[in-house]
Amino acid sequence: MLDLLLKKLHFQKMSNNNSKKASEQHDSPVYLSKNLEENLKILREVLGQSSDVIIRDMKIGTNLNVAAAVIYIDGLVDRDLVNHHILQPLMSDLQLIKDNVGQNHSNLIDFIKSSVLTVGQIIGTEDIDGVIANVLTGHTAILVEGVNQALLIDAKGWETRSLEEAKNELAIRGPRISFNETLRTNTALLRRIIRDPGLTFESLQVGERSKTDIAIVYIKGIIEDSLVEEIKQRLKRINTDVILDIGYIEQYIEDNPLSLFSTIGNSERPDVVAARVLEGRAAILVDGSPFALTAPMILIEGFQSVEDYYARPYFASFIRWIRFLAFVLSAFLPAIYVALMSFHQELLPTPLLITVAAAKEGIPLPVGVEAIFMIILFEILREAGLRMPRTLGQAVSIVGALVIGQSAVAAGLVGAPMVVVLATTAIASFVAPSQADLGALLRIILVSVASFMGLFGIVIISLEILSHLASLRSLGVPYLSPLAPLNIRGLKDTLVRAPLWTMDSRPEPLDSPNTRRQSPDQMPQPPKTKPNKGES
Amino acid sequence: MTRGQRLKIYVIILLIIIPVFLSGCWDSIQLDKLSIVSGLGWDINLDTGDVTLTYQSIVPSQIKSTSSTSGSGEQKGGGALNTIQLDHSTGSSPYDALSRYTQHGSRIPYYRHTQVFIFGKDGAEQGIYPFIDTVARNPAGRPNILMAVSEKKASDILGVQNGMESIQAIGMAEEIKLSAAFSKYPEVTFLEFANRLMSKTTAPIAPMIGIFLETGPDGKKIQKIRITGTAVFKGDSMIGQLNERESSGLLWAINKIKKGFVMIPEASLEIVRAKSKIVPELQDDKIEITIEIDEESNLIEYKGRKDLTADIVQELEKGQAKEIKSQVMAAVEKSFSLDADVFGFGDAVHRKYKNEWKNLKPMWDEVYPNIKVVVKVKTHLNEIGDVNKALMKK
Repeated sequence: MLDLLLKKLHFQKMSNNNSKKASEQHDSPVYLSKNLEENLKILREVLGQSSDVIIRDMKIGTNLNVAAAVIYIDGLVDRDLVNHHILQPLMSDLQLIKDNVGQNHSNLIDFIKSSVLTVGQIIGTEDIDGVIANVLTGHTAILVEGVNQALLIDAKGWETRSLEEAKNELAIRGPRISFNETLRTNTALLRRIIRDPGLTFESLQVGERSKTDIAIVYIKGIIEDSLVEEIKQRLKRINTDVILDIGYIEQYIEDNPLSLFSTIGNSERPDVVAARVLEGRAAILVDGSPFALTAPMILIEGFQSVEDYYARPYFASFIRWIRFLAFVLSAFLPAIYVALMSFHQELLPTPLLITVAAAKEGIPLPVGVEAIFMIILFEILREAGLRMPRTLGQAVSIVGALVIGQSAVAAGLVGAPMVVVLATTAIASFVAPSQADLGALLRIILVSVASFMGLFGIVIISLEILSHLASLRSLGVPYLSPLAPLNIRGLKDTLVRAPLWTMDSRPEPLDSPNTRRQSPDQMPQPPKTKPNKGES
Repeated sequence: MTRGQRLKIYVIILLIIIPVFLSGCWDSIQLDKLSIVSGLGWDINLDTGDVTLTYQSIVPSQIKSTSSTSGSGEQKGGGALNTIQLDHSTGSSPYDALSRYTQHGSRIPYYRHTQVFIFGKDGAEQGIYPFIDTVARNPAGRPNILMAVSEKKASDILGVQNGMESIQAIGMAEEIKLSAAFSKYPEVTFLEFANRLMSKTTAPIAPMIGIFLETGPDGKKIQKIRITGTAVFKGDSMIGQLNERESSGLLWAINKIKKGFVMIPEASLEIVRAKSKIVPELQDDKIEITIEIDEESNLIEYKGRKDLTADIVQELEKGQAKEIKSQVMAAVEKSFSLDADVFGFGDAVHRKYKNEWKNLKPMWDEVYPNIKVVVKVKTHLNEIGDVNKALMKK
């Protein structure tokens, strides 16, 4: 009885303490007793009066003389499976077996496990904590009177979103599928691409209350071992209530959390994640998030698009240049315009200056303020377009287009060239969408500096950014590699996208133990011997 | 941390932050606070010696309105310019005049897009050194601003409307550039002018601009601008001018021929490529200058009504060479009569004969008119056009 009291105390503590640390809860494991009543009492108390917790009492066995209980959470289990493959065999099929197995209760549970239940994955546990944790993740537990062991049956089944087309990383050529919110589905998507036995999904649970499943994905033999260790260390350090999305993980494990630049990549496409894993990176999948993190990340990744590799190299390289250019434009164009307008009018060709001067005539605001005003207006519109209910979308775009595009100019509040500059900037910022938020921040910083220091200020900030970039590391990999430190072979996939058959080795900064990814000299060419025309 | 330490840190932080704001916008200036000076004229009142500067400034608001209302019938009130504005300020020196601009202007004059400096002929004859010095000392403008001398007062020239361009000075600059591109008159930038001025022996030159009247479509007389010659300076004072033919000769000699035409009595030829070199030869005290000209051209007009045979082609080449030579000699004669070394013979001699130059330099004015000039012209006719048989024979 004292035992029971202690156990009760233990679990009261567990369910009440919001402030206590996890380590205190697991000071000593609490085991199941042979008394079913006792076990159920504890479970009822811990799981509380929650209506979705189903505790089904029953009598089983040949003579219906053994008390048992099935515990699961409604909504997390596949009801068909529970009804037909757990409850039915237990309650009716077991009766029909005339064999006298019911004498010894522990025999009974082994018999149930081995011969009664027609489901795939069953594990036994003697630990109440284990029972609770597993029931909460969707397992179905069977407790039998007189046995201090519980069977945990994997009969998970809940409503999920079906697999859909990638929404953010679009590609004209290439697979369309993207991850969804279910971890298992996501791992399956990756497994379907990489059938290598080395592909490993290492599972962890993070989040004291959410107990979110996380999988570290890597390929043994391709990834450098210390990288996995490091990621594991960082994940284990996380001690927080809940992991709602992969963004939580990113913020807890990144190398330089105060930097403007993200040092951990993400993707919603299985093919992208597979490619990165095959390069020697690790990916992290989180249950409930349709994105995967990939680390280490280098700056160039932000400008690579999945379609670069599916298209032929010339166009892919050209488009990559366009992406660089667009990013530079989106960050620097308004600042350069402001600098030229308020400090360095002599740098403009005369006819352009006259045109711009004509447009500036009668505009009340200094050009720096004008630029910041327009940038903020644009960001407001963008955010409104993003957050607002879809049905209102048109209203915003019409008002936005009219307000920014026409009325502001017609009313003489903003010069037409400024609208052109900002429109160019806005469109350019969406060419590399993963860098759009970065571009917006840089833009505001640069414009503010340019408006009181001119090109001089732009140069200072650019140098500052460059030196910051050079100092960044993502899990030990220099962020600017392969540009700095220079790695000639790595340049094949940096400023140009070399043909696939020339990219023989995995990226060097990742220190993969298996550097070769394909045999060299695979340039396709017609066969050297002439085919005999006479033969048929 | 003691109070003192904390105070120290605050002071250091302040010291770091404040300069950022102090540096502020001290040289930031908004476009609508600037008066963009497109052309600057320089005149001297011969009686008082006062300098008058004429500013031709761009009026941006007018450009805006003309561009937005174009199509709805523009009104040009009797050739009045509305896109530019003229201001005059007078002072005892260029800078004095410059400083007086603020008395009647609402915006700061901005010279970095100035196209031309125009010097009135009277002023140019008095010497333009004060102006050159001011501009070179306070480089507010670009060194490639074009220099020109006007036949009349600079202030008159700057007020003449130019047909095509909305900004008159831009039109004027384009006119000078076009004439230089077709090898009619030289195009002289401020930098080139200053370089010639510094060489002591070489005479600065500048194109001359005049006003002529043309009948407009409505029968009224319209003032237009035309380049009429090349002003020759001795030092900083204008002493004479070259006419069209002499200007061409000058360009041939100083390797400034780009494209253009050579007219000979029986044909016209389009210059394709031209190169020239000045080769000085010093023997005893005699200087002999050889001007070697190498020219290629295409035939574009032939009045001879004959089939073009090899003989005729050769004849045309010879005739062309003769014409070029006579142009160059005309320029040489004129420069001898003005005693102004517009070709830079002095510099050529200096480069080749460094030691002898010391003796020659002081007496260059006496030496110069006695130089023997030999012109060697090699011409080549590249193409005779699509017709090689005369369409109509005599």
